[in-house]
Amino acid sequence: MVKNITIFTTNTCGYCQMVKTYLKAKGMGYDEVNLDQTPARREEAHRLSGALTVPVTVVTKTDDSQEVIVGYNLAKLVPAVS
Amino acid sequence: MSNSTDKNQHDLVIIGAGPAALTAAIYTTREDIETVIYERGVIGGLAAVTDVIDNYPGFSDGVKGLDLAEDLRKQAERFGAKIELGEIKSIKDEGEFKRLTNEIGEDLLARSVLIATGSDYNRTGIAGEDKYYARGVHFCATCDGAFYRDKRLVVIGGGNSAVQETIFLTRFASHIDLLVRSNLKASDILIKELQPFIDSGKVTLNLGVTPKEIVGDDNGVNKVIGTLSDGKDKDFPTDGVFVFIGLKPNTQFLKDTSIKLNPQGFIITDSNLETSMPNVFAAGDVRSGATMQIASASGEGATAALKIRECLEGRLHSNEVKQLEVMP
Ligand SMILES: Cc1cc2nc3c(=O)[nH]c(=O)nc-3n(C[C@H](O)[C@H](O)[C@H](O)COP(=O)(O)OP(=O)(O)OC[C@H]3O[C@@H](n4cnc5c(N)ncnc54)[C@H](O)[C@@H]3O)c2cc1C
Repeated sequence: MVKNITIFTTNTCGYCQMVKTYLKAKGMGYDEVNLDQTPARREEAHRLSGALTVPVTVVTKTDDSQEVIVGYNLAKLVPAVS
Repeated sequence: MSNSTDKNQHDLVIIGAGPAALTAAIYTTREDIETVIYERGVIGGLAAVTDVIDNYPGFSDGVKGLDLAEDLRKQAERFGAKIELGEIKSIKDEGEFKRLTNEIGEDLLARSVLIATGSDYNRTGIAGEDKYYARGVHFCATCDGAFYRDKRLVVIGGGNSAVQETIFLTRFASHIDLLVRSNLKASDILIKELQPFIDSGKVTLNLGVTPKEIVGDDNGVNKVIGTLSDGKDKDFPTDGVFVFIGLKPNTQFLKDTSIKLNPQGFIITDSNLETSMPNVFAAGDVRSGATMQIASASGEGATAALKIRECLEGRLHSNEVKQLEVMP
C-alpha cells in the first residue's frame, strides 16, 4: 500500500507534467518538490535516484520501504503506485 | 459519424499526441468522428519539451512549450478526443479495419489511422554516451538543465535545436562549449540570439570538432574528447553533456508493414497525406517532406483530419496512393 508519493520536478519539464497527470487521473495525491524553487534539494534528488534528471518519483509504502522511479516510466510507475 | 460500437473499435486512432495529432483531433472530434489518441511520452510531443516557442502564430510574446501543449490537449479533449497513455507497437491492414497493438498486447481496430509520431533525438554513438546517460549525458535541456547551475557544460550539435538549447542552458551553466562538427546550420535569427553569449564569453563556439569520447568516473562526466579538423584530439573539461545532433523519425514500428518509408525512414504520403496503406494517413515531422515546425505540423494535422473525414465518408479520391514517389 502506498503511504505517500513525492515528485521532484522543474518548471519546464514536460515529463514531470506527465507523471502528475497520471497520478491525478488515478486520484492519487502527491507532494511536489520543484527544484527551480528549491535548488538546495537537487542533491537529495540526485542521491535518491543516482541520476541528474527529473522527474524523480519517490513512492513510500506503508511499511516505509521506498521505490524510486527515474523519468516518466509508466512500466515502473503503474505497479509502484497500484 | 461515430460508427464505433465495440469498445476496441474506433473511427480514428491517432498515434502520437504532438501538435500534428492534437490539431487533427480538434478537427475530427468537431466533425463527430470518434477519435482515440495514443501517446507513449509527453502529451504535446517535442513542443512540450521546448522552453519558449517564438514563431507559432497568434502569440506575439512567444508561448511556453508546456503551456501550448496543455492548451492543445484541453482543446482536443473539449470536443471529445480521448487520450490513452501507451505505445502503439504494430499496425496490420485487415481491410475495412486496421489492427493496432499496444505495448501490453491489447488490440484496437480502427477504420482510419493517423500516424503523427514525430521524431526523437539522434545519439552520437560515441564511447561514454550510454554509460553516463542521465548521469552527465542528456537529451532534454528543459528537463535536466537545472542540475547544472554554475557548472560547465558541453553541447554537441550545430542545428536549430542545439543553438536554441544552448541559449536556454545559459541560464544555468557558468560556461558552455558548443561543439560543432562543421559549421553552424541554425537559422540566422537563432545565431543572432546566440551571439551576445559568445561575445560575453559564456559560450565558446568550437567549429570543426568531432566528438570522440565522453569521459568520466563514479561521480559523473568530467570531459569530452573531440577531434579537431587537423586530426589532433582536444579535451573539453565539463560537468555535463547535452546532445542535439538532429532527429530520427519514429517509424521503427512500421518496418514490417506495407507503409512505404523513404531511405531516412520518413513516411511517404500522397498529396492527401495518405500513406501506401489505404485509410492510413501521416502528418507532421514523421512525414517525408515535413518542414519540422509546430505551425506546419499543426497545419498538416488539420489537412489530414479533413482528408480522413472524406475517406470515412467514402469521398476521398486517392490520387497517387498507388504510385507514391519519394518526396524531398
Ligand atoms: C529543441 C527543439 C526546439 C524546437 N523549437 C521549435 C520552435 O521554436 N518552433 C517550432 O515551430 N518548432 C520547434 N521545434 C520543432 C517542433 O517541436 C516539431 O516540429 C513539432 O513538435 C512536430 O510535431 P509532431 O506532432 O509532428 O511530432 P512530435 O512533437 O514529435 O510528437 C510526436 C509524439 O508521438 C509520440 N509517439 C512516437 N511514437 C509513438 C508510438 N509508437 N506510440 C505512441 N506515441 C508515439 C511521441 O512520444 C511524441 O509525443 C523544436 C524542436 C526541438 C527538438
